[in-house]
Amino acid sequence: MAKSKKEIISIKSISKIYHLGTNVVKALDDVSVNIYENDFISIMGPSGSGKSTLMNIIGCLDVPTKGTYKFNKALISEMNDSQLANIRNEKIGFVFQTFNLLPKLNALQNVEVPLIYSSLNRTKRTQRAKEALKIVGLEDRMTHKPNELSGGQRQRVAIARALVNKPSIILADEPTGNLDSKSGLEILKFFDQLHKAGNTLIVVTHEKSIAKRAKRRVELFDGKITLDE
Amino acid sequence: MNRIINYLSDAVGGVLFYFRQTKLRTFLTLLGITVGVSSIIGIMTVLTTFDRATTGLVEEMKTNIFYITRDNPIEISFGSNDRHNRNKPRITWSEYEQLKRVLTLTKHISAVVAEEPSDRTISVGKEELKNRLSSFWGGDGDVLETQKYEMISGRNLRQQDLDSNARVAIVGYDIKEELFPYSDPVGQMIKIDNIPFEVIGLLEAKGEMLGQSMDSMIGIPITSFLQYFRGRSHYGEGLQLILESESMDDLDAATDEAIGAFRAIRKIPPGSENNFYIATNDQLMDTFGDFTKYLQMFIGLVAGISLLVAGIGIANIMLVSLTERIKEIGVRKALGARKIDIFLQFLIEATLISIIGGIFGIIIGLLFGNVVAYFLQQDPVIPFNWVLYSIQICASMGIIFGLYPAIKAANLNPIDSIRYE
Repeated sequence: MAKSKKEIISIKSISKIYHLGTNVVKALDDVSVNIYENDFISIMGPSGSGKSTLMNIIGCLDVPTKGTYKFNKALISEMNDSQLANIRNEKIGFVFQTFNLLPKLNALQNVEVPLIYSSLNRTKRTQRAKEALKIVGLEDRMTHKPNELSGGQRQRVAIARALVNKPSIILADEPTGNLDSKSGLEILKFFDQLHKAGNTLIVVTHEKSIAKRAKRRVELFDGKITLDE
Repeated sequence: MNRIINYLSDAVGGVLFYFRQTKLRTFLTLLGITVGVSSIIGIMTVLTTFDRATTGLVEEMKTNIFYITRDNPIEISFGSNDRHNRNKPRITWSEYEQLKRVLTLTKHISAVVAEEPSDRTISVGKEELKNRLSSFWGGDGDVLETQKYEMISGRNLRQQDLDSNARVAIVGYDIKEELFPYSDPVGQMIKIDNIPFEVIGLLEAKGEMLGQSMDSMIGIPITSFLQYFRGRSHYGEGLQLILESESMDDLDAATDEAIGAFRAIRKIPPGSENNFYIATNDQLMDTFGDFTKYLQMFIGLVAGISLLVAGIGIANIMLVSLTERIKEIGVRKALGARKIDIFLQFLIEATLISIIGGIFGIIIGLLFGNVVAYFLQQDPVIPFNWVLYSIQICASMGIIFGLYPAIKAANLNPIDSIRYE
């Protein structure tokens, strides 16, 4: 691990505890992990291992019950909803398994959504969105609605949306889970390119083939990290 | 600032999209608002039309003339004031004579007995007037002058007609058209309840006022009226006195003098209320204004109820829309939307729906009101202040009824929402 790289995320002894009725569920138990600039990490583990919970916390959708989480040295674990939303908007690009594009918007408008919540004006917004779509090679599909695109194209729109705010990290949750193997492979090749271009990628997956492409593998079991290499 | 503009354009796009997706549902929601607003605007357009018509009337009647009558002739009362009215004594001939002697600021005073409308049979030979007379009056002096009628043929009533209880009559233009279509009625005989009268004057046509002909009228000397028609007449209401001050400037002083003099004649103790009614034309028109005010209040109530129902409709459609868009809200939150962003998005959408419904309502209301105005032969009008109020009402409705769905949407948890199917 190239320790000389700039540290983006520093997670120290975090736990996440859910109370389901009388049951107490420890989704994460004393997890520590650091993520550096231009890392390409895969997070693996069986269902119920806590990888989704870790992903939600890294993605600032949730906060840990215990422990500290620093993002670019800012203490996330003590932020309020609004501050978390700003971090998600500016620093994190999400790619979901089910793409989660808004069906009413065309490709360009979908890519623009994160920019609605930043203070860019319309012209700059459109310009940035067009640039992002160009990166994923969909500049000729800008006015297509999601239902007019193939699965692979949809996921590329979603990646463009994740890139549009020039985030510090890209967080992908089972990005090829809903794709056929050919489209899945395209997306993975694209991730390689993004990594080479200097982006930081975190991919949650249970597919070993994807994990192999990652430069660093983290495995979770029962809320604990069992492997980090 | 850019954020706000971003929301607005985003919300407009969202609303238009959902309008296309759920045409029927949106149509029904809009219908409630449209009906409420169109009823307000329609009625206000009609009332503005009426207002214009009566303003014309007021302008025409704005003179130094005032009236003493038993009671306000066009008072609109809710509940019964009748007992109170019955206790008011009618104005008698002797009171009129006394008043005539004491007034100094009044240039002219005349007494009128009128049946409005009148069911007298009017005939010439075997020909009978088919329509009811709008007005049959007995007067002394220059009643016509005060009512702004022009004589086109013949002469006015004279003192000797009054002194001799002469059977002479002045007729309006409708009477000529129906009973003397091919000749000048002046000098010819006309029968009022079979009593023959000589027509001495014909009046110029004045046309209609609020749907009633001003020309279907016959006037005779008051002395003759009291002699021949008193027994079966509306004399029960007593005399109406028409007074005229020297000028507009003297109107208030002359009115005060007349009130004082009439109280003295009737020996009303100081501190007691007048048991007669005194009014200038302005005041009479104010009473009409009261009537439109009551009508406005009533329509306001009806429209208010309809808008309340419409508002509940908005809240409902926003809640349905919220349930359908939980995933969208989750995605937007993951991409950086704060609570306030989602809250505003929903609130703007609700307000937009409400205002769009309101705009349709305004258009329909204006069309309806102006069709009515057209049939009343009035120029088209747009009650701009009510158009503005309606938009304000719709905007506030959108905000009030969109508030709960917006809060609910804003508070959704992003993790659960994103997984919602």
